[in-house]
Amino acid sequence: MDEKVTITINGKPYRVDLDQTIMEAADSCGYHIPRLCYHPKLSIEGACRVCIVEVEGMKNYIASCAYPLFDGMKIHTNTKELRQARRDIVELLLDNHPEDCHVCERDGNCELQRLAYAMGIRHRHFAGERKHYHKDLSSTSVIRDPDKCILCGRCVRMCSEIQGVNALGQAGRGFHTVVMPAYDMPFAESVCTTCGQCINVCPTASFVEKNYTQELFAKLNDDSLVKVAQIAPSVRAAIGEGFGLPPGRNMEGQTVAALRKLGFNYVFDTQFSADLTIVEEASEFLERVQEKGKLPMITSCSSAWMKYMEQFYPDLIENISTCKSPMSMGSALIKTHFAEQIKVDPKNIVSVAIMCCTAKKYEAQRPELMVNGMQATDIVVVTRELVWMIKSAGIDFLNITPEEFDSPLGMSSGAGTIFGVTGGVMEAALRTAYELYTGETLVDIELNSIRGFDGIKVGTITMDGKEIRVAVANGLGNAHNLLEIVRKEPDRYHFVEIMGCPGGCIGGGGQPYAAANSIPLDTDCLKARAEALYSNDRKKTIRRSHDNPEIQRLYKEFLGRPLSKKSHELLHTHYKPHEPRGIASRKIRAI
Amino acid sequence: MAKPTDIIKKKRAEAVSRIISKGYLSSKRVYVGMATCEIAAGSKEVMEVFKNAVTKGGLTDVYLSQKGCAGRCNLEPTVEVIEVGKNPVRYGKINPEKAQQIIDKHLKKGEVIKEWVID
Amino acid sequence: MSKEYIITICDGTGCIQKGNAAIRKALEQQLKDHNLTNDVRINLSGCLGMCDKGPIVVINPGYTIYGNVTPADIPEIVEEHLVRGQPVARLAIQEDHLYNRFFRIFGDAKFFGKQMRIALRNCGIIDPENIDDYLSLRGYEALAKVLTDMTPKQVIEEVKLSGLRGRGGAGFPTGVKWQLTARAGSLNSPRAASDEKYVICNADEGDPGAFMDRSAIEGDPHTVLEGMIIGGYAIGAKQGIVYIRAEYPLAVRRLEKAIADAREHGFIGKNILGSDFSFDIDIRLGAGAFVCGEETALIRSIEGGRGMPRPRPPYPSVEGLFGKPTLINNVETWANIPVVILDSGKWFSTIGTERSKGTKVFALAGKVVNTGLIEVPMGTTLREIIYDIGGGIPDNKEFKAVQTGGPSGGCLPAKYLDTPVDYESLAKAGSIMGSGGMIVIDQDSCMVDIAKFFLEFTQNESCGKCTPCREGTKRMLDILIKITEGKGEMYDIENLKRLGSMIKKASLCGLGQSAPNPVLSTILNFREEYEEHVKDKKCRAGVCKKLLTYEITDKCVGCGACKKACPVAAITGTAKAKHVIDQNKCIKCGACFSKCKFDAIIKK
Repeated sequence: MDEKVTITINGKPYRVDLDQTIMEAADSCGYHIPRLCYHPKLSIEGACRVCIVEVEGMKNYIASCAYPLFDGMKIHTNTKELRQARRDIVELLLDNHPEDCHVCERDGNCELQRLAYAMGIRHRHFAGERKHYHKDLSSTSVIRDPDKCILCGRCVRMCSEIQGVNALGQAGRGFHTVVMPAYDMPFAESVCTTCGQCINVCPTASFVEKNYTQELFAKLNDDSLVKVAQIAPSVRAAIGEGFGLPPGRNMEGQTVAALRKLGFNYVFDTQFSADLTIVEEASEFLERVQEKGKLPMITSCSSAWMKYMEQFYPDLIENISTCKSPMSMGSALIKTHFAEQIKVDPKNIVSVAIMCCTAKKYEAQRPELMVNGMQATDIVVVTRELVWMIKSAGIDFLNITPEEFDSPLGMSSGAGTIFGVTGGVMEAALRTAYELYTGETLVDIELNSIRGFDGIKVGTITMDGKEIRVAVANGLGNAHNLLEIVRKEPDRYHFVEIMGCPGGCIGGGGQPYAAANSIPLDTDCLKARAEALYSNDRKKTIRRSHDNPEIQRLYKEFLGRPLSKKSHELLHTHYKPHEPRGIASRKIRAI
Repeated sequence: MAKPTDIIKKKRAEAVSRIISKGYLSSKRVYVGMATCEIAAGSKEVMEVFKNAVTKGGLTDVYLSQKGCAGRCNLEPTVEVIEVGKNPVRYGKINPEKAQQIIDKHLKKGEVIKEWVID
Repeated sequence: MSKEYIITICDGTGCIQKGNAAIRKALEQQLKDHNLTNDVRINLSGCLGMCDKGPIVVINPGYTIYGNVTPADIPEIVEEHLVRGQPVARLAIQEDHLYNRFFRIFGDAKFFGKQMRIALRNCGIIDPENIDDYLSLRGYEALAKVLTDMTPKQVIEEVKLSGLRGRGGAGFPTGVKWQLTARAGSLNSPRAASDEKYVICNADEGDPGAFMDRSAIEGDPHTVLEGMIIGGYAIGAKQGIVYIRAEYPLAVRRLEKAIADAREHGFIGKNILGSDFSFDIDIRLGAGAFVCGEETALIRSIEGGRGMPRPRPPYPSVEGLFGKPTLINNVETWANIPVVILDSGKWFSTIGTERSKGTKVFALAGKVVNTGLIEVPMGTTLREIIYDIGGGIPDNKEFKAVQTGGPSGGCLPAKYLDTPVDYESLAKAGSIMGSGGMIVIDQDSCMVDIAKFFLEFTQNESCGKCTPCREGTKRMLDILIKITEGKGEMYDIENLKRLGSMIKKASLCGLGQSAPNPVLSTILNFREEYEEHVKDKKCRAGVCKKLLTYEITDKCVGCGACKKACPVAAITGTAKAKHVIDQNKCIKCGACFSKCKFDAIIKK
């Protein structure tokens, strides 16, 4: 429908599409109405009332994010009364918000702070009682601080609409309204998958990652320890944003150099272990295909997805690949093979993962992933934490000379790189599986049907006349939709990739906050981060995981062959059902 | 097939005869208010008194029924006595003792207890 | 006691015009002449809706209606009817409007005289748990009529013709709403008939002190069901839902029984009364949130979510329950429907004022002699309600204000007593119709305290979604508490106004948009009381505890009772001499005041 209407904004006529809201129309006409709870990827909440406008003939102000246009609509966005009303509304939010901006995690990166400044609030009118709650520190990954919550509802909508987890909801009434897990149970015990998307969309510091930087700094200063880092693919694609660069700059070499300057003895690449994951996973897939194992096989790299699956799809546990995630494979090797090589007691090795993902903090602590009675990954810090560690250590990140990864866990193929984008694991796995199955090399290796940011993508590849049907979902809500199909039609797909976050790891819950002129999880930003990885893939001469010489060497020297006993011991894991607590059965009672 | 209007006419006639068969044509009808507000004010106990009188106390020629709230909140519980050929009488603020007196005087002897009548 | 005869003269506009005053005069003269003044009570009623046959005179008991009465007829009526007990057949008319039964049964003329019962026509008359009672009073006849003689379109036209407006508060024209819901779906998909639609009865009555919906359902559940079934027929829905508070167990039980009985009789279910129309009704219990009276919050609650409103449009008539077009009306609105159908929309539209048709139910409460549930024609003045029906203020106290429209209505002072009760007039006076709460306030109440009370309620019941309502009402409440504790400044009053008008205009739903009303209307109408609290640190009603001082006057006989009662030993004095209160020690608990037998202690 592209019907046009004529409206006036602040007295000036405009010809615009009918099928949009006042806010969208105003945006297209060069007016940026102040806003807060609005997020283009979430449903319309209309809660903050910051985006109010006046429409002639209506007695009340109208929330421009929610109201549709009509022909002849006369809109005012900037009258004296409106400015005062908006100011008063933002002030009301401030009046119930801690006055600790300069010691706040989000100082300088807080939407409320920016808005208050833009509204011209320089003193207060209505100060009074403030809410006071306790921080919830129970989760391995996400800290919930209701004191800073302005009840915009973005986290609630994110958690239910995009992620389908429904861990959060509003409780209480009036002034005592608060966002919490069901029954106010500790976050750690709730259905929260620790994906951290609430952090991404929160305009304030009501949700932040659990910070392990002090612990890490302490270890880095301990000379008796060998400090080993690994970096996830998506970190290098986004870390530049934390230093003011536009999205999409690949800062791999700078990150390696900065980590060495921070005191790491070895800096490895999670992309190497991603290659390893692919070889194992592709082999597992072929085994299932050839030996009539459980299909579809579903990937298992995303930690939030692991918890989600154990809670909501325990019936699919047999379908889940037993492969550990690249991070955990890397850490397992660091604490065994690598420790042997450098002849250090693994107890004296600190294995640190720099991840784009808050859920990796949860994954690191899963008991199933212990290696020889030790936690394989000792500390996980997310991109944001690394950004400020670099800043606080006084390292000139932008002007640093790029450095190379250490060997042996530093070399990667293009297939390992694209792990960070939705569809990447599938693409990488098919590049290898095809060759292992057919004995021929896959020529057209860029599988465009499973690239891009659609929630669910499907594709087929023919291997020796056998049609392999694959499906890819990003975001747990899409995963839910896809898995409902899998439940109903188990034969429809052979191979399914699930990534817990929108866009895959590049949209992870640990990535830098949106820039001042941007919105969290902006599609253009995600595209730029994805492109940083795809272009890296294109640049590489080795683009298939099994062609990675370091991988081949590892099998020769240590593991033997894919799915060997050793592999199973170190690189594979298992899952068990988790009773989801505090949420009703998904079945809505039909009337 | 019968039209809905015909069906309802029949149903209405049946309803009326059912009511009559329950003794509606007795010379006196007693209605006790039984909405939440009336029950809170004590009308359940009042109803018990009337029920007992009808079932065990030998009170005859009386049709007893409950009714909803007529709106006289400050005078609840209310009891209404309708005698054939006379003005209806409504009593306010009735308790079980008063109910017994209504039975003894008004229902049995036809004496209206003027002090309790809602005017 | 009830008199021998009660004569009701219709005092509607039509009958006034046709000379009912002369009739009253003639009647009074005749009664005097026949020495009947003490045995006959004359009262006036609101419009009885028989204007074409006016002037109307009704004589009870017997319920004889005389139409086209002239003063010359009066001697004959008195002679024949009152003296000899023979109704004058020549003048009697047969009327079978549903509502009229009420007068036939009740003799309580003072209270009921000005009332007119349409929605509550069976309440307090029938046994609500016996469907036969309802059937005997033309129950489900409107449904049968609709199914036999009327197309859905005609039903909607009839409702539109009646001028009925939503009784839940906003006063949206009911027929228009029906029409919008009936058309919705046909816009989106040409095959409208296959589209699912819903009918909802909003019985989530949450106003403090309001019990209109509860009484209506407890007194006559079937009329609500009948209205809903007709609504379902008109818009093409198959499923109705009554959303009712879980705190109304008796109403729920009676509703359940009514639904079961109606189903047994074939009024609910498949092929109702042999027609091809099928409709079912289900009950959903609310958990007692005031905001769930707001339609979008109510719908969300039925869907299983947290009851929070969402921005409109889309309105429920387009996108309601489970995203389907939904017709949602309140209990009282539904209860009017059978009358509109049977007595015709045209007749219904003769009652009330030009833009507000029919009657309105109020829960009359507060400082008034006859508290109760009343139903009056639109256009009845506040004075008639409070003084004629309500019997005035008890203990000869002075009327101060009346608060209409529940916790978010405005407080109107004495100068508005002659305001007719209708949507527009109340709004013009600075209050709202609301769902029908009416609280009378006398001189003993402090208006600042009243405003604080209502705001406390709305703040506690705010769903917490939108900023103005959640945070704004809290700040207003903070300021009011400050003022009632004597810590207010003059700018606080201005801040209240500033916040209040912002909250009204910027809030998401009706709760927030009306929450500041009690504060704004009391500032408008009783500003001097606010200023006294702020400037003189005085509360004239003696309600705001922190502003009180207790003093002992010369009436004191020195009995010492106050001294003993004082918990903080603030009172000193020797026996038989006047005692004194140390104001620095006094905690204003009032113990001395209630102990003094000689009225020697005063509150200031």
